[in-house]
Amino acid sequence: MSTYRIEIDRSLCSGFGSCVDAAPAHFTLDGSGAAHALVAETDDERALLAAASCPMGAIAVFEAAPSSQVA
Amino acid sequence: MRHDPTFWLLARASGITAYVMLTLSVLAGLVLKSRPFSGLKPAAVTDLHRVLAMLGLGALAGHAVALVLDSTVHVSVAGLFVPGLVSYRPVWTSLGILAAELMVLVYVSFSLRKRIGTRNWRRLHWVTYGIFGAATVHGIGAGTDTSRPWVFGIYAGAVAAVAAATAWRALVPPVPARARRPIQRRGEQTA
Repeated sequence: MSTYRIEIDRSLCSGFGSCVDAAPAHFTLDGSGAAHALVAETDDERALLAAASCPMGAIAVFEAAPSSQVA
Repeated sequence: MRHDPTFWLLARASGITAYVMLTLSVLAGLVLKSRPFSGLKPAAVTDLHRVLAMLGLGALAGHAVALVLDSTVHVSVAGLFVPGLVSYRPVWTSLGILAAELMVLVYVSFSLRKRIGTRNWRRLHWVTYGIFGAATVHGIGAGTDTSRPWVFGIYAGAVAAVAAATAWRALVPPVPARARRPIQRRGEQTA
Protein backbone atom coordinates (compact mmCIF):
# COMPACT_ATOMS: atom_id res chain seq x y z
CA MET A 1 0.00 0.00 0.00
CA SER A 2 1.35 3.37 -0.97
CA THR A 3 0.19 6.86 -0.34
CA TYR A 4 -0.04 9.02 -3.43
CA ARG A 5 0.20 12.77 -3.70
CA ILE A 6 -1.84 14.34 -6.50
CA GLU A 7 -0.66 17.39 -8.41
CA ILE A 8 -2.54 19.03 -11.26
CA ASP A 9 -0.88 21.34 -13.74
CA ARG A 10 -3.81 23.63 -14.31
CA SER A 11 -2.07 25.41 -17.15
CA LEU A 12 -2.22 22.13 -19.07
CA CYS A 13 -5.75 21.11 -17.98
CA SER A 14 -8.33 21.53 -20.74
CA GLY A 15 -11.28 20.32 -18.72
CA PHE A 16 -11.89 17.01 -20.48
CA GLY A 17 -13.20 15.58 -17.22
CA SER A 18 -11.78 12.10 -17.70
CA CYS A 19 -10.18 12.28 -14.24
CA VAL A 20 -13.60 12.93 -12.69
CA ASP A 21 -14.94 9.81 -14.38
CA ALA A 22 -11.97 7.72 -13.31
CA ALA A 23 -11.86 8.94 -9.70
CA PRO A 24 -14.93 11.01 -8.75
CA ALA A 25 -13.93 11.08 -5.09
CA HIS A 26 -10.60 12.67 -5.91
CA PHE A 27 -11.24 15.10 -8.76
CA THR A 28 -13.84 17.65 -9.75
CA LEU A 29 -14.16 20.30 -12.43
CA ASP A 30 -14.41 23.77 -10.93
CA GLY A 31 -16.43 26.69 -12.23
CA SER A 32 -13.87 27.55 -14.87
CA GLY A 33 -13.94 23.96 -16.13
CA ALA A 34 -10.48 23.05 -14.91
CA ALA A 35 -9.76 19.99 -12.81
CA HIS A 36 -9.32 20.36 -9.10
CA ALA A 37 -8.07 17.74 -6.67
CA LEU A 38 -10.49 17.10 -3.81
CA VAL A 39 -7.80 15.45 -1.72
CA ALA A 40 -4.10 16.16 -1.61
CA GLU A 41 -3.13 12.61 -0.78
CA THR A 42 -4.76 9.24 -1.14
CA ASP A 43 -3.95 5.59 -1.09
CA ASP A 44 -6.61 4.87 -3.71
CA GLU A 45 -5.17 3.48 -6.94
CA ARG A 46 -7.94 5.22 -8.87
CA ALA A 47 -5.78 8.32 -8.66
CA LEU A 48 -3.36 6.50 -10.97
CA LEU A 49 -6.21 5.66 -13.35
CA ALA A 50 -7.21 9.32 -13.41
CA ALA A 51 -3.66 10.46 -14.17
CA ALA A 52 -3.38 7.86 -16.94
CA SER A 53 -6.68 8.92 -18.46
CA CYS A 54 -5.85 12.64 -18.72
CA PRO A 55 -5.57 13.57 -22.42
CA MET A 56 -3.27 16.47 -21.58
CA GLY A 57 -1.01 14.67 -19.14
CA ALA A 58 -1.85 17.38 -16.61
CA ILE A 59 -2.08 15.10 -13.59
CA ALA A 60 1.03 13.89 -11.83
CA VAL A 61 0.90 11.33 -9.05
CA PHE A 62 3.82 11.06 -6.69
CA GLU A 63 4.49 8.30 -4.27
CA ALA A 64 4.37 10.20 -0.99
CA ALA A 65 4.99 7.31 1.35
CA PRO A 66 6.38 4.21 -0.24
CA SER A 67 5.54 1.07 1.60
CA SER A 68 8.30 -1.07 2.89
CA GLN A 69 8.12 -4.14 4.97
CA VAL A 70 9.20 -3.39 8.51
CA ALA A 71 8.50 -6.70 10.17
CA MET B 1 -16.39 19.43 -76.24
CA ARG B 2 -14.32 17.76 -73.54
CA HIS B 3 -15.15 19.07 -70.15
CA ASP B 4 -12.47 20.48 -67.92
CA PRO B 5 -11.34 17.67 -65.58
CA THR B 6 -9.77 19.97 -62.98
CA PHE B 7 -12.59 19.87 -60.46
CA TRP B 8 -13.16 16.17 -60.97
CA LEU B 9 -9.50 15.52 -60.17
CA LEU B 10 -9.68 17.86 -57.18
CA ALA B 11 -12.85 16.17 -55.93
CA ARG B 12 -11.20 12.76 -55.98
CA ALA B 13 -7.91 13.92 -54.50
CA SER B 14 -9.58 15.92 -51.71
CA GLY B 15 -11.88 13.00 -50.89
CA ILE B 16 -8.94 10.65 -50.44
CA THR B 17 -7.04 13.31 -48.48
CA ALA B 18 -10.01 13.87 -46.16
CA TYR B 19 -10.24 10.13 -45.55
CA VAL B 20 -6.53 9.85 -44.77
CA MET B 21 -6.70 12.82 -42.35
CA LEU B 22 -9.78 11.38 -40.65
CA THR B 23 -8.01 8.04 -40.27
CA LEU B 24 -4.86 9.63 -38.84
CA SER B 25 -6.95 11.73 -36.44
CA VAL B 26 -8.81 8.63 -35.25
CA LEU B 27 -5.48 6.83 -34.76
CA ALA B 28 -4.06 9.78 -32.80
CA GLY B 29 -7.20 9.76 -30.63
CA LEU B 30 -6.91 6.03 -29.98
CA VAL B 31 -3.19 6.31 -29.21
CA LEU B 32 -4.01 9.12 -26.81
CA LYS B 33 -6.47 6.89 -24.99
CA SER B 34 -4.47 3.72 -24.78
CA ARG B 35 -0.89 5.09 -24.73
CA PRO B 36 0.98 2.30 -26.49
CA PHE B 37 4.00 4.57 -26.87
CA SER B 38 5.12 5.82 -23.48
CA GLY B 39 7.44 8.47 -24.91
CA LEU B 40 4.66 10.56 -26.44
CA LYS B 41 3.49 13.67 -24.61
CA PRO B 42 -0.30 13.46 -24.22
CA ALA B 43 -0.79 17.19 -24.78
CA ALA B 44 1.11 17.00 -28.08
CA VAL B 45 -0.93 14.00 -29.23
CA THR B 46 -4.13 15.83 -28.28
CA ASP B 47 -3.07 18.80 -30.39
CA LEU B 48 -2.16 16.51 -33.27
CA HIS B 49 -5.53 14.74 -32.97
CA ARG B 50 -7.38 18.05 -33.28
CA VAL B 51 -5.20 19.46 -36.04
CA LEU B 52 -5.61 16.30 -38.13
CA ALA B 53 -9.39 16.47 -37.66
CA MET B 54 -9.34 20.12 -38.73
CA LEU B 55 -7.23 19.31 -41.80
CA GLY B 56 -9.66 16.50 -42.59
CA LEU B 57 -12.57 18.93 -42.43
CA GLY B 58 -10.67 21.35 -44.65
CA ALA B 59 -10.14 18.63 -47.26
CA LEU B 60 -13.79 17.69 -46.85
CA ALA B 61 -14.83 21.26 -47.65
CA GLY B 62 -12.62 21.13 -50.75
CA HIS B 63 -14.24 17.79 -51.70
CA ALA B 64 -17.71 19.34 -51.41
CA VAL B 65 -16.90 22.51 -53.37
CA ALA B 66 -15.09 20.57 -56.11
CA LEU B 67 -18.04 18.19 -56.53
CA VAL B 68 -20.45 21.11 -57.02
CA LEU B 69 -18.15 22.85 -59.52
CA ASP B 70 -17.40 19.67 -61.44
CA SER B 71 -19.73 18.43 -64.16
CA THR B 72 -18.81 14.73 -64.24
CA VAL B 73 -21.27 13.93 -61.50
CA HIS B 74 -24.13 16.33 -60.87
CA VAL B 75 -24.16 17.55 -57.29
CA SER B 76 -26.19 20.59 -56.29
CA VAL B 77 -25.48 22.68 -53.20
CA ALA B 78 -28.57 21.19 -51.53
CA GLY B 79 -27.33 17.77 -52.57
CA LEU B 80 -24.22 18.30 -50.45
CA PHE B 81 -26.25 18.58 -47.27
CA VAL B 82 -29.32 16.43 -47.82
CA PRO B 83 -28.67 12.70 -48.26
CA GLY B 84 -30.45 11.17 -51.23
CA LEU B 85 -30.45 14.13 -53.62
CA VAL B 86 -27.43 12.95 -55.60
CA SER B 87 -28.38 10.48 -58.32
CA TYR B 88 -24.83 9.10 -58.64
CA ARG B 89 -24.60 5.97 -56.44
CA PRO B 90 -27.16 7.44 -54.01
CA VAL B 91 -26.57 5.03 -51.13
CA TRP B 92 -22.80 5.49 -51.08
CA THR B 93 -22.96 9.27 -51.55
CA SER B 94 -25.60 9.55 -48.80
CA LEU B 95 -23.31 7.67 -46.44
CA GLY B 96 -20.56 10.16 -47.23
CA ILE B 97 -22.86 13.11 -46.48
CA LEU B 98 -23.92 11.53 -43.20
CA ALA B 99 -20.31 10.86 -42.22
CA ALA B 100 -19.31 14.44 -43.08
CA GLU B 101 -22.16 15.98 -41.07
CA LEU B 102 -21.42 13.81 -38.05
CA MET B 103 -17.73 14.69 -38.36
CA VAL B 104 -18.57 18.39 -38.19
CA LEU B 105 -20.82 17.70 -35.20
CA VAL B 106 -18.11 15.82 -33.29
CA TYR B 107 -15.53 18.48 -34.14
CA VAL B 108 -17.76 21.35 -33.05
CA SER B 109 -18.74 19.50 -29.87
CA PHE B 110 -15.23 20.06 -28.55
CA SER B 111 -15.94 23.79 -28.22
CA LEU B 112 -19.34 23.07 -26.71
CA ARG B 113 -18.19 20.50 -24.18
CA LYS B 114 -18.65 22.83 -21.22
CA ARG B 115 -22.23 23.49 -22.29
CA ILE B 116 -23.19 19.90 -23.09
CA GLY B 117 -21.08 18.41 -20.29
CA THR B 118 -17.81 16.59 -20.68
CA ARG B 119 -19.50 13.22 -20.20
CA ASN B 120 -21.92 13.79 -23.07
CA TRP B 121 -19.08 15.19 -25.16
CA ARG B 122 -17.09 12.00 -24.69
CA ARG B 123 -20.17 9.86 -25.38
CA LEU B 124 -20.65 11.76 -28.63
CA HIS B 125 -17.08 10.85 -29.54
CA TRP B 126 -18.15 7.20 -29.88
CA VAL B 127 -19.99 8.29 -33.03
CA THR B 128 -16.54 8.55 -34.60
CA TYR B 129 -16.44 4.78 -35.10
CA GLY B 130 -19.62 5.11 -37.17
CA ILE B 131 -18.14 8.07 -39.05
CA PHE B 132 -15.03 6.09 -39.88
CA GLY B 133 -17.08 3.10 -41.03
CA ALA B 134 -19.43 5.24 -43.13
CA ALA B 135 -16.52 7.18 -44.65
CA THR B 136 -14.76 3.92 -45.55
CA VAL B 137 -17.86 2.44 -47.20
CA HIS B 138 -18.52 5.77 -48.93
CA GLY B 139 -15.00 5.91 -50.31
CA ILE B 140 -14.98 2.32 -51.50
CA GLY B 141 -18.52 2.46 -52.91
CA ALA B 142 -18.68 5.96 -54.39
CA GLY B 143 -15.02 6.52 -55.18
CA THR B 144 -13.98 5.96 -58.76
CA ASP B 145 -10.41 5.12 -57.78
CA THR B 146 -11.15 2.13 -55.55
CA SER B 147 -9.90 -0.32 -58.16
CA ARG B 148 -6.47 1.29 -58.16
CA PRO B 149 -4.25 -0.87 -55.95
CA TRP B 150 -2.78 2.06 -54.00
CA VAL B 151 -6.20 3.53 -53.25
CA PHE B 152 -7.57 0.18 -52.19
CA GLY B 153 -4.42 -0.19 -50.14
CA ILE B 154 -5.27 3.05 -48.31
CA TYR B 155 -8.70 1.72 -47.35
CA ALA B 156 -7.35 -1.67 -46.30
CA GLY B 157 -4.48 -0.09 -44.36
CA ALA B 158 -6.78 2.42 -42.66
CA VAL B 159 -9.26 -0.25 -41.57
CA ALA B 160 -6.47 -2.54 -40.36
CA ALA B 161 -4.76 0.27 -38.42
CA VAL B 162 -7.96 1.51 -36.77
CA ALA B 163 -9.01 -2.07 -35.94
CA ALA B 164 -5.60 -2.78 -34.41
CA ALA B 165 -5.59 0.46 -32.40
CA THR B 166 -9.15 -0.23 -31.22
CA ALA B 167 -8.23 -3.76 -30.19
CA TRP B 168 -5.25 -2.37 -28.28
CA ARG B 169 -7.48 0.10 -26.54
CA ALA B 170 -10.01 -2.59 -25.65
CA LEU B 171 -7.58 -5.26 -24.55
CA VAL B 172 -4.73 -3.39 -22.87
CA PRO B 173 -5.71 -1.81 -19.54
CA PRO B 174 -5.37 1.99 -19.52
CA VAL B 175 -3.52 2.09 -16.21
CA PRO B 176 0.20 1.90 -16.53
CA ALA B 177 1.10 -1.21 -14.62
CA ARG B 178 3.79 -0.30 -12.19
CA ALA B 179 6.29 -2.48 -13.95
CA ARG B 180 5.48 -0.88 -17.29
CA ARG B 181 5.56 2.74 -16.25
CA PRO B 182 6.76 3.54 -12.78
CA ILE B 183 5.01 6.20 -10.78
CA GLN B 184 6.82 9.48 -10.82
CA ARG B 185 8.61 10.19 -7.63
CA ARG B 186 9.29 13.50 -6.04
CA GLY B 187 11.82 15.51 -8.02
CA GLU B 188 11.49 13.40 -11.15
CA GLN B 189 8.86 15.44 -12.88
CA THR B 190 10.27 17.57 -15.65
CA ALA B 191 7.23 19.45 -16.94
